[in-house]
Amino acid sequence: MNRRTFLLGTFATTAAIALGVNLYSPEFSSTDEQTEGKDYRLLFSVLLPVLLDGALPEVASHKLAAQNRTLDAINQSIAALSESQQDELFQLLDMLENRLGLLVLTSSMTPLLMRSPSELTQMLENWRYSYFSLMQTAYLGLRELVMASFYACPEHWSRIHYAKPVLFK
Amino acid sequence: MAIVDPIINGLNSGWLHTDGSQLKENQQFEADVVIVGTGAGGGVAAEILSQAGLSVIMIEAGQLRSSTDFNMEERVAYPNLYQQAAAMKTSDKAIGIFQGRSVGGSTTINWTTSIRTPTEALAFWEQQKSVKGLSRETLDPWFEQMEQRLNIHEWKFEPNRNNAALKQGCINLGWDYTVIKRNVAGCWNTGYCGMGCPVNAKQSMLVTTIPSALDKGAQLFSRVKVVKIEHHNGKVLALKAQALDSNSKPTSVELMFKAKHYIMSGGAIHTPVLMMRSDVPDPHKLLGKRTFLHPVLLSGAIFSDAINGHSGAPQSIYSDEFVWKNGVAGELGYKLEVPPIHPVLMASKLLGHGKEHAEAMANFNQFQLTIALVRDGYHPDSQGGQVRLTDKGFELDYPLTETFWRAARRSFASMAELQFAAGAMKVMPVSDGMPYFTSWKDAKEGIEQMTLAPLKTVVASAHVMGGCPFGEDEKLSMVDSYGQSHYLENLSVMDGSIFPTSLGANPQLSIYGITARNATALAQKLTDGREPQ
Repeated sequence: MNRRTFLLGTFATTAAIALGVNLYSPEFSSTDEQTEGKDYRLLFSVLLPVLLDGALPEVASHKLAAQNRTLDAINQSIAALSESQQDELFQLLDMLENRLGLLVLTSSMTPLLMRSPSELTQMLENWRYSYFSLMQTAYLGLRELVMASFYACPEHWSRIHYAKPVLFK
Repeated sequence: MAIVDPIINGLNSGWLHTDGSQLKENQQFEADVVIVGTGAGGGVAAEILSQAGLSVIMIEAGQLRSSTDFNMEERVAYPNLYQQAAAMKTSDKAIGIFQGRSVGGSTTINWTTSIRTPTEALAFWEQQKSVKGLSRETLDPWFEQMEQRLNIHEWKFEPNRNNAALKQGCINLGWDYTVIKRNVAGCWNTGYCGMGCPVNAKQSMLVTTIPSALDKGAQLFSRVKVVKIEHHNGKVLALKAQALDSNSKPTSVELMFKAKHYIMSGGAIHTPVLMMRSDVPDPHKLLGKRTFLHPVLLSGAIFSDAINGHSGAPQSIYSDEFVWKNGVAGELGYKLEVPPIHPVLMASKLLGHGKEHAEAMANFNQFQLTIALVRDGYHPDSQGGQVRLTDKGFELDYPLTETFWRAARRSFASMAELQFAAGAMKVMPVSDGMPYFTSWKDAKEGIEQMTLAPLKTVVASAHVMGGCPFGEDEKLSMVDSYGQSHYLENLSVMDGSIFPTSLGANPQLSIYGITARNATALAQKLTDGREPQ
């Protein structure tokens, strides 16, 4: 087992515990070599359908492809952040993968994967309108990362009727 | 039609360029002048000093990119050309900041708006901040020189629909508006200035002063970060730098730069940070203090017809109706402009998530965005922010005061009134919890009652100024009115960090003009010993 496999396995297991599953879902397997050591793909795969509800395609296979594309883009976005921004983001994501962290952030230890879309929506809305800046910051950080990553992909521009000009043939 | 890439051609012709990521061993370099940073200040200084016959080294932490690399996609532009991948924020995360980070600095990615320093700002600096010799009369020849050099002309074409809405609203309300001067030559009017000009029409430092300096034999180091100013007994002895790898991480290679004179042009965050990190004399503890943004508020509107805010010159109309309305030191004023609207920029600034966000994005092409740039630094309760050193670099603490929020509320009302006057169907102040209003009457009432708060109300900025102010009084300033350090005889500062307040106008032309004046004086001093009069 090389180092990357070990680390991915470790983080996948950590994520799986927090998210309430036993196996790393192969349909969300990462192909990005840049994020060695840190992989929150499963965590984001739970949040994406809620944050991007209405923006993702309705056809199941297209929806899955758009989610996978966004997960890759999120990895690339994270890699472009400064070290201190990455540290802050990883702290938040670690808390979401940890039952005690979940309790602090959501007042519940129920793993995210076991929560319904409406419960996840409620969680995000609670952060959004929280009196605590920590919660608001967590909401804004995740929201901006996901939205920016989704709309950065040219594959997702058709819905908003946007295309960059073709300058040269 | 192939676009000529002046950077690739220049490199092929033998320009002296060193990419720090390619360096394998420690080295030392010498020149008459070493300039840290290649943005509006560094670029202009490099050209003037090299034209005076001085040997010049330019050092830039960002990468050397050129039109060949500019593919008009935010996912490429932000990580390659912006500080912290365009995700920089103040320490409380309440303000997002866009700053350039590549050869050419912010001039490579700005929206080309070129405005001379407002007379009110210059008068305030002279009266309150001990700045000497910078009136509009004395500066106008320098502005004219730089306007000629950088092809700065009034935009003669029709504004795009985004800007046209601003213009129409002003006309219908009888408000002031001005056609913007832009630094472009042969502009294709595509609207992608913020991602680097793919056709080299924008007359940024990347395609003007830096190539000119390189043609004169100047040397450029990219991906090299200056980490310390070595100084002793009132004189700078050297600059210590680290080479950066392709991911902008420091390598083990250390570089040393020696010169007769050193110019700091790293911008209003990095110049003070470098000086603080180097423990330069600062007896009155001014460094990093009074750092100013133009904090920007946003108002979105939906029009019945297409706005296509991504297409066409990003800024071509502004309104100064409210900038100085309450007196220079009175309630804060704000300038009205519009920004370009591209998917990532809009998606990250629009509020909410899920269906709420998706529905707003579905109106992408009918969305008009007006922005209000608040003028900070003149009112007694508007002291700006403070740059501080941290274990991992720096942070900018920028408290938003009640005085600011009063201006924000007024600006939301002005923007909504303007957008309705321009024909908007509905208008939404970009602050969480605010609905779309369908009439100016409803918007006025709603804005009077709205809750404004950090993290709830979207605040952004692309203009950072101050933190190393100029002037003659050492209790108020770090450098004199020519940018010469009060404490280190061979150190000057030439960038937006010298401004003692914000400007009330987009800063690039102010930096060009004032740097041209100060760099010319420095060149005379270094070549024939003449001190500026």
